[in-house]
Amino acid sequence: MDKSRINIAVIEPSHIVFEGISNVLMKFKKDFYLFRFNDLEELKQSTSKEKFNVAIINPSAIQNRLNDFVKLKNAHSNTLWIALIYSFFDDDLLHKFDDTLSVNASLNQIYHKLGQINNSTEKSQQEDLSDREIEVLIQLVKGLANKEIADKLNISIHTVISHRKNITDKTGIKSLSGLTIYAITKKIVPLDHGAV
Amino acid sequence: MYQTHKTYITPDIKMADLVVENPKLLLLLEHFEIDFAVKDKSVAQLCVENKIDLAVFLVFGNLYNGFFPDKNEINALEDISTIIRFLKNSHRFYKHDKYPELKSFLVQLHERQNSEDILLIEKFFNDYFEEVLEHLDYEESIVFPYICKLIEDGKIARKNNFSANEYREHHTDIETKLTDLKNLLLKHISLKNDFSLRRKFLFSLFELEYDLNVHSLIEDKILLPLVGKIEIEPSNG
Repeated sequence: MDKSRINIAVIEPSHIVFEGISNVLMKFKKDFYLFRFNDLEELKQSTSKEKFNVAIINPSAIQNRLNDFVKLKNAHSNTLWIALIYSFFDDDLLHKFDDTLSVNASLNQIYHKLGQINNSTEKSQQEDLSDREIEVLIQLVKGLANKEIADKLNISIHTVISHRKNITDKTGIKSLSGLTIYAITKKIVPLDHGAV
Repeated sequence: MYQTHKTYITPDIKMADLVVENPKLLLLLEHFEIDFAVKDKSVAQLCVENKIDLAVFLVFGNLYNGFFPDKNEINALEDISTIIRFLKNSHRFYKHDKYPELKSFLVQLHERQNSEDILLIEKFFNDYFEEVLEHLDYEESIVFPYICKLIEDGKIARKNNFSANEYREHHTDIETKLTDLKNLLLKHISLKNDFSLRRKFLFSLFELEYDLNVHSLIEDKILLPLVGKIEIEPSNG
């Protein structure tokens, strides 16, 4: 799965509020994927397939299912559980969540709440290639196939593929001809290598 | 991917207001051969005057505005020949307008400073352009005639070398290289000075990317499923 992608589960019965959430999230230009669920049970089922970074939940959805909620939350402690509040709820109920988000929150406040999850993904975005990635890039530009690179560098073909993916993530360049230009302009390989 | 917060286009909206909001709709008008002087006319009026299927216009216009149609809306589209005409016009736009324009910017950049980096970019672009031309030719000589024949006959045996999957891969290739080009210029290669030329080049590139995005959505997600529907429908005669 794409590391930079952030999965957000939403349980919110109102269409208008849900649309509002997705519009607001879109403004942040992050790789947010929204999944909408009707109730806790639906969300629970899908946690077996999908990993969620954040769950934004209307507290009314857990009101009569407190035990289920606490169990689910404990089972997925890496998820940030946020209560979405636009009417009155008991404090005891709200304390079951990691955090709360008021429907009146400003864009800046929302950004900071979500900032807690953004940081972890930021690391993979650094542009500098590692030494190993540079070695793989050099062989790629020479025109070697994954298998040949694996043999030459004494690594498995899976490692080659994962290096390739990281190179593309870091540089934003996917095609071989694009990578060749990247390698030449960054003086990783001399001009005569693959540039014909 | 492009992201917009634009108006959802409905038949009674005035075209001029829509263009003011999203100038890229000029491309839509051009591909539909609608004159830019739209006066105070609504979308529906323009379509009647220019003999363009309203449903197709709405779906395409909304794609430019960032809304993807649902399955029912796609299945309800009947006027495939309008779709083909639109696509052919956008091909003409790429071939005779957009790519030559980008090319001339690169030539000018190169004339001003003879650096290796620009040469490389130029080479990358020329190779890429060749690839695009090949793909457009393939569509015009194989895909479109096949579809036109299909509409005429209602149904024909699948016989020529048209493959939907291969077709989709072409599109991915074309988009990948375009993104690469954009990233090379935005993230990695610094060309001294020449702000104005580089800006023109980048703006032109973004415009092309936007239009190509919509173009391949139309071909992959709308045209192909519609054609697939005709292919499997039992022939009535």
